[in-house]
Amino acid sequence: MLVKRTRKVEGLFWGGIGLLICLFTWGPDFGSLREPGPSFLAFFTGLFVAGIGMVMAFLAFISKTFQCQTSNVEFLFRNISWFRLIYTMGLLLGYAFLLNTIGYILTTFLVLFGLLYDWKTNRWGSSFLISIATAVVTYLVFEIWLHCQFPRGIFPWW
Amino acid sequence: MNALHELFYGFGIAFQPMNLLFCFTGVFIGTMVGVLPGIGPVGAMSLFLPVTYGIPPVSGIIMLAGMFYGAMYGGSTTSILVNIPGEATSVVTCLDGYQMALQGRAGPALGISAFGSFIAGTLGVVGLMVFATPLAEFAVKFGPTEYFSLMCLGLSVLVYLTKGSVLKGLVMAGIGLLLSYIGMDVVTGKARFTFGLIGLVDGIGLVPLVMGLFGISEILLNLEKLGERTILKTVITGLLPSKEDWRRSAKPIARGTLLGFFLGILPGAGAITATFMSYALEKKLSKRPEQFGNGAIEGVAGPESANNSAASAALIPLFSLGIPSNIIAALLLGAMMIHGIRPGPLMITENPEVFWGTVASMYTGNVMLLVLNLPFIGIWVKILKIPYRTLFPLILIFCLIGSYSVNSNVFDIYLMVFFGGLGYLFRKLDYEPAPLVLAFVLGPMLEQNFRQALILSDGGFGVFVTYPLSAGSLLISLFLLLSAVLPAVQRKRRAVTSE
Repeated sequence: MLVKRTRKVEGLFWGGIGLLICLFTWGPDFGSLREPGPSFLAFFTGLFVAGIGMVMAFLAFISKTFQCQTSNVEFLFRNISWFRLIYTMGLLLGYAFLLNTIGYILTTFLVLFGLLYDWKTNRWGSSFLISIATAVVTYLVFEIWLHCQFPRGIFPWW
Repeated sequence: MNALHELFYGFGIAFQPMNLLFCFTGVFIGTMVGVLPGIGPVGAMSLFLPVTYGIPPVSGIIMLAGMFYGAMYGGSTTSILVNIPGEATSVVTCLDGYQMALQGRAGPALGISAFGSFIAGTLGVVGLMVFATPLAEFAVKFGPTEYFSLMCLGLSVLVYLTKGSVLKGLVMAGIGLLLSYIGMDVVTGKARFTFGLIGLVDGIGLVPLVMGLFGISEILLNLEKLGERTILKTVITGLLPSKEDWRRSAKPIARGTLLGFFLGILPGAGAITATFMSYALEKKLSKRPEQFGNGAIEGVAGPESANNSAASAALIPLFSLGIPSNIIAALLLGAMMIHGIRPGPLMITENPEVFWGTVASMYTGNVMLLVLNLPFIGIWVKILKIPYRTLFPLILIFCLIGSYSVNSNVFDIYLMVFFGGLGYLFRKLDYEPAPLVLAFVLGPMLEQNFRQALILSDGGFGVFVTYPLSAGSLLISLFLLLSAVLPAVQRKRRAVTSE
């Protein structure tokens, strides 16, 4: 029953998204059949997504087969190490946030150290060495050899 | 005879020590980025584009082209051994290649993939050399109506092959199209759907999108499990396929080569569509369709040949007409223009050393790749055997660097992280990202051709069903999508697409 309910929610969600896109794209930018505007095809794509969403929801309403399935959303997200996921995503966002401020080498070192750090054993030696080596080697390869323009940040001489 | 004479002239250029070195560098890096998940040929070519500034144009183009077709080879290695496509053209190889590896047949899977790629790659270059002009002329006769319908067909095939629900595949294709509309409108030059974000004015980059949906989301899926993720531990023996393997693979290789070549020449269709179409074709023609998805060698041989053949064919419109058929060809176009070379019909006569030098280098490059991917497969496997705890941070750093360095813009990193999270949710809820990515790649061309077709026909939708090629493509698309929702076909489809 849970899967059937999930399908209904999914169908209604996509139906809603599609309709929102239709509303958003309907306007002067729509153009006409003879002269389609910038949002012409986006409107029809929104309509398409809404239609598929409605079909999905309708099938969930009338179908009995979904009830036989065992998986559900709750099951999919059970036993997940949320700490590792959020921690990793946080470090990736931190990289984007810090890159322009503190520069390429320091940001790469800090983020890599954070990603390599083993929280179970608390060992940091190898993580430290790999991080510093990677930061320096990638800097030499990309910045010095390949002339990629990385932000220098608080160390303008790098 | 003239072509042969020109080819020998090209070999004279390709065999110069400097060009051999750049060719090797290109195919080596190409194989490496193909092997490493999260960084593909687009990112690598973008990173190496500045390198070409300081070297002769022909050497630069040889190196960049080497990365392109080298990645086609390397991408299959991770698909087979780790079930992560090294790049988008190897997505299909995961389906049967990984299953073969699980059954202890990683060697033959890698072997047939390398041989198929070599045969198709070499034949593709022959095609590029011999048929460049007439084929390009034929493809150029297609109008916007035909292009639009062909792209619809490509999308339909992809959705048909989506694991699980066709409706979910269609939703993903719709979302991919919508994402592709963000940014500057090519017809009016007006920024649209940017929500006031300057970073979106140029649209969403393919690199952050693909790295996010495939690279980051894959890593997140692996990280969510509390246990350590293990890379497939298998002894790779018997890289040379058996007689039975060859018997089963010969026709798929031939069909994949032809299909890849003709699809590769069409703008937008390219290598990704060719792999999916080749897989669908082999599954349809097979006497054992139920084996597809469970380790059928035809499912590796066909698509791997198709993507390498398409890689060569994709250069035909670029070299002969100056039209890039995909983002990689567009990068090559950019590199040529930096050196003052104007690709087009006159390029072959004005800069014969670039055209024939590159064509000849592709023969030598394919031989180098065969050596790199068979006797030295151990090197790539060793890269894959690095503990995941160490490997994933390095992949993430490469994703971050690759995503940033394309435009030197931090916004692309935010986009990549966003799509990483979105891709994770999609995958958890059984929404495959492949239709989204293909729709995103085809979206701008699809839209442009659709609008042009309507303008040319004075708003008449009938034009899509009155032109024979267009009508045929749309009919096949409709047939595929309708057949996929029929209960009997649906049951069979679920059986063959489920892993």
